Amino acid sequence: MNAPDRYERFVVPEGMKKVAYERDMKVMNAATFTLQREDHTIGNILRMQLHRDPSVLFAGYKLPHPLQYRVVVKIQTNSQSSPMQAYNLAITDLTKELDHLKATFEQETNQKQAEYY
Amino acid sequence: MDNVSYQRFPTVRIRDIKDDVLKFELRDTDASIANALRRIMIAEVPTLAIDLVEIESNSSVLNDEFLAHRLGLIPIVSDRAMEMRLSRDCDACDGDGRCEYCSIEFHLSVKCTGDQTLDVTSLDLVSSDPSIIPVDAAGRAADMGGFESNDTRGILIVKLRKGQELKLRAIARKGIGKDHAKWSPAATVTFQYEPEIHINEALMETLTLEEKQEWIDSSPTKVFELDPVSQQVVVVDPEAYTYDEEVLKKAEAMGKPGLVEIYSKEDSFIFTVESTGAIKASQMFLNAIEILKSKLDAVRLSFDTEEADDQFGELGAHMRGGGI
Repeated sequence: MNAPDRYERFVVPEGMKKVAYERDMKVMNAATFTLQREDHTIGNILRMQLHRDPSVLFAGYKLPHPLQYRVVVKIQTNSQSSPMQAYNLAITDLTKELDHLKATFEQETNQKQAEYY
Repeated sequence: MDNVSYQRFPTVRIRDIKDDVLKFELRDTDASIANALRRIMIAEVPTLAIDLVEIESNSSVLNDEFLAHRLGLIPIVSDRAMEMRLSRDCDACDGDGRCEYCSIEFHLSVKCTGDQTLDVTSLDLVSSDPSIIPVDAAGRAADMGGFESNDTRGILIVKLRKGQELKLRAIARKGIGKDHAKWSPAATVTFQYEPEIHINEALMETLTLEEKQEWIDSSPTKVFELDPVSQQVVVVDPEAYTYDEEVLKKAEAMGKPGLVEIYSKEDSFIFTVESTGAIKASQMFLNAIEILKSKLDAVRLSFDTEEADDQFGELGAHMRGGGI
């Protein structure tokens, strides 16, 4: 019938950008990032990480519609930073956190397994 | 401005680790990370599952599509799934099952000749790759000579009567739970906040022994206990608390508000990960971390958008009267 293909939920269509950046025309240091084929998983961790940055004045995300597979992240910063800088920093910090988590988890499992055998 | 970082350093303590169950505590991070990892384990860690079935002959009581659906739901050992390609992205083949990068072929050919009803199970599936087999068959190979109970007989697909026959070719492909739940490696993945329970000892001592017992019994789960020696109320299992607030209501009703205070620690999570057997539970968590990392990498801004913005920034500065 007319149901959309299931893969449309996670495959970015050809010619479409994964991340679109749009500067706010009315507010200084404010911008909107549109992430294609992403959801709460990415939106929420980005928002929470941005909240840890004191130069970020506002960070929020929304899923405009459950059948439009994109999230919109809005960021406003003070003059010490820019939305793009804050966005990049958040991604870098989260990646570092996950690297650390992976190392810790592996170390703990090895230790636990050593105890077991 | 360059060397700032607001990174966190999460800690992990493992409580229980088995092939299919993992229980651990995750601390010093927030709910967004815990939830992202949970969501990824359920919907985005890849596994293998039967995706295409060609039926040669089927005289069983179940129709072809019913059988194809049942075959799809059989978990398959997927340790290699992370390295494999999705059939859609595989340029070495057209995903017809004879490609080492993206698909595995199974054959099934059973005919009932005896008077007894014949069970067709996942053990009858013959794989083209001996390392990629249905999960229960792998378990059977591992503990041969164990018990001869029903659970070593594989997963039932259909029952055949005398004269009935089933012959088919099935192709297993890599996929994720977001596409179809058959590809999800997770049976359940949950996390809970660790509760912090403080009993107001002074107020508690104003209660009689019967009142104490009555208050303890008001909790639907066994969180508190009466110490038989000191006759004091003690917390035996804070994690049994389900945030039902029954004990708080009971304290209120007894005219002793503030008898107990219960908080949930915002940065401390107790995870329970259960696997279908397709991937080890601990590996599922590690894969989830890897996938989250690659997702983050994918949403990094491309160089040309950054450059375009720099030029725009200069232009904007000029338009506002130049200089800063």
